[in-house]
Amino acid sequence: MTSSLASVLSALLAQAPTPEELQEQINLDSLVLLEVFYFFTVVIMWLIHVGFMAYEAGVARRKNIMSTAMKNILTIAVVTPSFYYFGWYIYGCFEHGGPAEGHAGPAEFPGFCGLTAPWSAGMGGNLESTLTGHLSLVFFLAFLLFSWTTASIMSGALIERVRLSAYLILAVVLGSAVWIMDAAWGWSSGGWLTTNYGFHDSIASLVVHGVAGAFALGVLLNLGPRIGKFDREGRARAFRPHNTHLTLMGLMLIFTGFYGFYAACLFIQSTVFPGWLNIYLSPTTLGTIAMVITFGFAGGFTGGWIASKGDPFWTLSGGLAGVISVSAGADVYHPSLGYLLAASGGMLAVWSGGYIEKRLRVDDAVGAVAVHGVCGFYGVFLVGIFAGGFPTGVNNVPVSFGGQLMGILTFFPLAFLPGFIISWLLKKANLLRVPAEVELEGMDMAEFQQDFFPEFERVPETVVLPTGEEVEAGPVLLDSYAQANGRGSPETAGRRR
Amino acid sequence: MIDSFPFDSWEDVTTTFWTFGPEDSTGTYVLTVLGIILMVAAIVYWVWLENKKLNAQAELLRGGGVLPPASPTAPGPGFEEPPLAGPSTDPGP
Repeated sequence: MTSSLASVLSALLAQAPTPEELQEQINLDSLVLLEVFYFFTVVIMWLIHVGFMAYEAGVARRKNIMSTAMKNILTIAVVTPSFYYFGWYIYGCFEHGGPAEGHAGPAEFPGFCGLTAPWSAGMGGNLESTLTGHLSLVFFLAFLLFSWTTASIMSGALIERVRLSAYLILAVVLGSAVWIMDAAWGWSSGGWLTTNYGFHDSIASLVVHGVAGAFALGVLLNLGPRIGKFDREGRARAFRPHNTHLTLMGLMLIFTGFYGFYAACLFIQSTVFPGWLNIYLSPTTLGTIAMVITFGFAGGFTGGWIASKGDPFWTLSGGLAGVISVSAGADVYHPSLGYLLAASGGMLAVWSGGYIEKRLRVDDAVGAVAVHGVCGFYGVFLVGIFAGGFPTGVNNVPVSFGGQLMGILTFFPLAFLPGFIISWLLKKANLLRVPAEVELEGMDMAEFQQDFFPEFERVPETVVLPTGEEVEAGPVLLDSYAQANGRGSPETAGRRR
Repeated sequence: MIDSFPFDSWEDVTTTFWTFGPEDSTGTYVLTVLGIILMVAAIVYWVWLENKKLNAQAELLRGGGVLPPASPTAPGPGFEEPPLAGPSTDPGP
């Protein structure tokens, strides 16, 4: 009996895996977990773009619905290939300002320059069970979704008068060059702002949102306001969204997608405590950032609601602004701190949105410059105060107010100037803005030759005057058209504003 | 699987050239260049096509002296195309 039991045990032990085999299995499971994790962050992040489309199409007047929505859809068509062919290479090889010497970077993460060229082993199907094998593709896809987001942030600001093709060119520049350059500098473990100054923007307050907002501001200065947006004294009128419910649902979809965005900003290192790293390879946890984003929404809604005195659009936009304000420090903030700071960000978005429109007289149709731009920079500023001294990156460079300021001073011109210059060139070529007559009639008829609500009666468009009175828009818009046209002919109206 | 001459060797050559096996190969360079050409050509075409559509509609509106912001005008004759299948064939009311 004893001998038979011993023989069974010895047979089982002979089949048992060795410690080396177990370690190999653990490593493979870890890699598969990592790949699956990023895959699903990409799926969830698609909701951001569903949301942006609904958000912006809802804000548009009925005559511009489809031309607005098509911008969001075609963002994917142009930013995807351009980011694949150029953008990812910029991220991999421009961490020190210019292109890295030699393109055969080390196989470990970071330093993967050699794997970011579109013809490299890292950018096609690859069965190697390493971080730089098949996993580099899901990293790429996560960053691609960030790139779409930067372009979508800009798109809302420009609606109802920008040409679709002009927007697509600007989207390529922003989504595949500008933002990813700043990410290489300040949103990677090897970026010069990180390694030299401890710049800390963990979930991309500035490198995604702030930069997109600054770029959009540069474009808006050349694009000009929609016809009828400002009266002869320069006071702002308001256009009614054609569907506020759709806009609010779009914002809620964006919020849902943001959880995927947040998660995609972390690395899993499941075999090393605590298992999670931020973009700078400093330890954090998924729970930490999930708590801060949730409390960020709560604080942002509260701040937006208070500052706007209960306006639905700005209450929800306040939620977005609140999260953006705390994203930079989401890996280290306490939830209560996130709640408080987000409330201030929600208020800041409402106030700065009003300032940009009423004082600067910039027509930002969805408040993107205020919500993403101002609050993106504000978020990085807050980290310098509330997370000062926290070690950042593999070199453990402490966060400092000066380091955060260095990032702000670097990224504002990096974003604003390309937006301003490219849009200025498009304007000079008369390719930036639709003709004034088309803008008055609505872009959908010219772009797509159809009314996209054919079964609904067309009611007169209205506009809200600075006094708060809502009147029929026709006479107001024609007066603005004549005013912009001056004594010249209608043919010149589109070029003169 | 067809295993008669010359398909096996042909398959090897084709997969080596076009699929994901080797990096830094002629196939990956060719694919990259073709992709960039399509990307640039698509953007140029978008610019050209939209410019044509917008100018045609603007000319129509100017020529007719019609500038009512809430009354859509049928698309002008400057941009004629056969209708596409599906919802695009519906001209609306």
